[in-house]
Amino acid sequence: MGNKQTIFTDEQLDAYQDCTFFTRKEILRLHSRYHELAPHLVPMDYTNDPDCKLPLALIVNMPELNENPFRNRIVESFSEDGMGNLSFNEFVDMFSVLSEMAPRELKAIYAFKIYDFNVDNYLCKEDLVKTLNRLTKEELTPEEVVLVCEKAIEEADLDGDNKLSYADFENMITRAPDFLSTFHIRI
Amino acid sequence: MSSEPQRPGSREVHDYTEEYGYHSDQRSLRRDPPRVSNQNQPQFDWISPHEEEDEEGSSGPPRDLRATPLPMALKRAIRQVQQMQVPVVSSRDSWKRKNAKSLRKLKDCGMGFLSFFSLWSKTLQKIGGNFGGGVQSYFLFLRFLVVLNFVSFLLIAGFVLVPSIVFRSVGAALVNSTGQEACMVYDPNPEGLVVFYNYFLDLLSGTGFMEYSYLFYGYYNNTMVEDKNISYNIPLAYLFTAVFYFVFCLICIIARMGTAARVVVATGSSTVGDYSMIVFTSWDYGCLGDRATKLKQKNIHYQLQVDLEEESIKKRAAALTLSQKIVLYSLRVSMCFVSYGLIIAAFYGIFAATEFSQVKSGQGGILGLFFEYLPSIVITAGNFVVPLLCDQIALIERYSPSTTVIVALLRAVFLRLVSLGVLLFTLWRQITCEGAENTGECKLCQYNHLLYPCWETRVGQEMYKLTLFDFLINIAVLVLVEFPRRMVVDNWSNKLSQWVGRQEFEVPANVLGLVYGQTVVWTGALFCPLLPLINTLKFILLFYFKKITLFHNCRPALKTFRSTTSTFFFLVVLLFGLGLGTVVMIYSLSEIRPSMGCGPFRFFPSMWSIVPTSFNNLSIITQDFLFFIGSQSFSIPLFALSCVVMCYVVALASVYGKSVALLRAQIKLEGRDKQFLVKQIEMLSRRQQILKQTAGASS
Repeated sequence: MGNKQTIFTDEQLDAYQDCTFFTRKEILRLHSRYHELAPHLVPMDYTNDPDCKLPLALIVNMPELNENPFRNRIVESFSEDGMGNLSFNEFVDMFSVLSEMAPRELKAIYAFKIYDFNVDNYLCKEDLVKTLNRLTKEELTPEEVVLVCEKAIEEADLDGDNKLSYADFENMITRAPDFLSTFHIRI
Repeated sequence: MSSEPQRPGSREVHDYTEEYGYHSDQRSLRRDPPRVSNQNQPQFDWISPHEEEDEEGSSGPPRDLRATPLPMALKRAIRQVQQMQVPVVSSRDSWKRKNAKSLRKLKDCGMGFLSFFSLWSKTLQKIGGNFGGGVQSYFLFLRFLVVLNFVSFLLIAGFVLVPSIVFRSVGAALVNSTGQEACMVYDPNPEGLVVFYNYFLDLLSGTGFMEYSYLFYGYYNNTMVEDKNISYNIPLAYLFTAVFYFVFCLICIIARMGTAARVVVATGSSTVGDYSMIVFTSWDYGCLGDRATKLKQKNIHYQLQVDLEEESIKKRAAALTLSQKIVLYSLRVSMCFVSYGLIIAAFYGIFAATEFSQVKSGQGGILGLFFEYLPSIVITAGNFVVPLLCDQIALIERYSPSTTVIVALLRAVFLRLVSLGVLLFTLWRQITCEGAENTGECKLCQYNHLLYPCWETRVGQEMYKLTLFDFLINIAVLVLVEFPRRMVVDNWSNKLSQWVGRQEFEVPANVLGLVYGQTVVWTGALFCPLLPLINTLKFILLFYFKKITLFHNCRPALKTFRSTTSTFFFLVVLLFGLGLGTVVMIYSLSEIRPSMGCGPFRFFPSMWSIVPTSFNNLSIITQDFLFFIGSQSFSIPLFALSCVVMCYVVALASVYGKSVALLRAQIKLEGRDKQFLVKQIEMLSRRQQILKQTAGASS
């Protein structure tokens, strides 16, 4: 368009465009959002790929994630060290997967990771209980919670091991018409 | 086992999920032993993508890279490696890739440009975040109708309005003909001095100065210009524009239904899996704001309770004894009769009001205005009172909650559309002397020329009044009911106001209002060409008013409305309305004699008869060509071809359905195989342990 920006090289912007679902303008906007989370930590000049990570506590304060009951799990799933510290690469990756253009399979993989609280590659009953409690803010009685979790596992579990593997989860997600529109954060 | 019908892109994703150990099937066992990978640091098989790439063809690596579930740094490294491997690829392939890439960039640019034009996208986003997908689907539907009406207006303006204005100002000669003198009398302009407030009354009822204007059919002339350079036939243009308008609306609606239906069909029947779906997919990640999330949580809690309750109701219903069942069914049948009786009473009321109003037309002053609007008032009152009563009746019938909603909606749709039909039927009775066109007052001109010197304009006026009244009622309800209700509930805290509570935004009722308004426009477009423009303005204002009331007066609904299936349902109901409009148009085009005193069809026996007349003016070649298209030697092969295409599509759809079912069964079988193998492994390892123990003990 003609306005020269000095944050990224053209090469880097092309790489970001190829690896995510964002356009140039959106990537620059994401960088400004990332920068305003910690202006003294995040450099304005990313041309030489600085190694800068923001801690979990700063990221979950963003207005888009602030009220989400799964905000900690979301950030942890996208961080390399599993502790929730995001570099700009991972930040962009997170919003790319949660954008509206990401395909269903990709979103299902990350949704599975988010709901897997004990990180054992299975959604067992404890994971579901935690999910449900965060969803309803503990308004259901414990018996109802257990009942709903048992029913949910019963419906989706295909191989009969009383917990949901990724295949069960994905099979159930393909039958949910609203998944694509609800698993979506606009930034 | 290796015949897996998947898209190339998803196959890539499938491979990477294997590396996670999510999917242990034959493939990964055959290749490398599955690496135990850290959740957040997957291993990447640098060798495999190249094999996939050759089978990919020209879809190009950048496409697939975006959809891979790897961390960003890894993706960028892969991209660099792939870019460095250019010499391996032939120049033709790399040219194709470059082309695809620049095309994609162009498409992105185009999308960015178009999104600048999309109306109200930020507002819709805010509505969706705060009130959920159901309310947002109402506003999306409203936006679709605004765009549809505006484009239709451009169509009509381009082909009918502008040429009429041009020819009228140029003073093109009219085609005259002889006919009954009495039938050609038409004098809409008021005589003498007009009182000032009459202008306002005329604006509201479409009479007086508004009657003889571009707004109504009666003003258009039957100019048929045939110069050396141009030839333009206004009546023919009017007819074809009206027909094309309906076809265009039908195509738009079906195209939009296609996108909605695709999602519905792909996800199949969603009766199974309610609980798991609520747990995993009901949280809207786009929810903004503290208040909205608290309400979303209450919403989910309510949904689960409703589902649990529905299950207990089902159990109770299954446990009914025979006598109880008989009682229940007879109750349902009688309630059905009661509700249909109410609906028929409403129809009779509309019929009586329309006849009375037509008899009393021509009266001046406020009383005259009241008589003019009497049909609209009765229709609106019926549409308000009868659904309320039907809701109460539905409660007595004791259906499950979801069935109750559907039954109530269907009854309301029936009421709205058929009440409009009753109004039109009453008008028709009076115009054509109850169908007997050669008796009584219709003997001279085949229509009642004493009551209706220009009957098309009168029908157009009725539709105009309905549209206007609908809009005024909406605003009146807003100002007089919703705002005061909120002020009472907010400022006056006692038990009654707490129980009544703030308004909820009722999506089905509002959507039915939109469908009704659009149906009125469709029935009236032939007689009132500017009605789509008026409707565009009405819907734009309605959008802003509804938005204001939504944000100020309403609380988010506890009961959700499924957004994907509901869009499809709205469009189906809209199609019913389009059907009613089409029936009216076809009947008026072919059966009723156009007025002889006004309009572009004044000297034709029916509106359609202009087509054969102009047909004879075409060149011989065109005539022969058109005859050929209509003849049997063309239409029969065309019919056969479309049958073949339809059979192919149906066969394809059934094959896809069968393969989906087969794959689902296969997933189940593989799960069972896995269980069986795990048990075998346990048994064998136990046996081994026992053998070791006995060997150790004996040695």
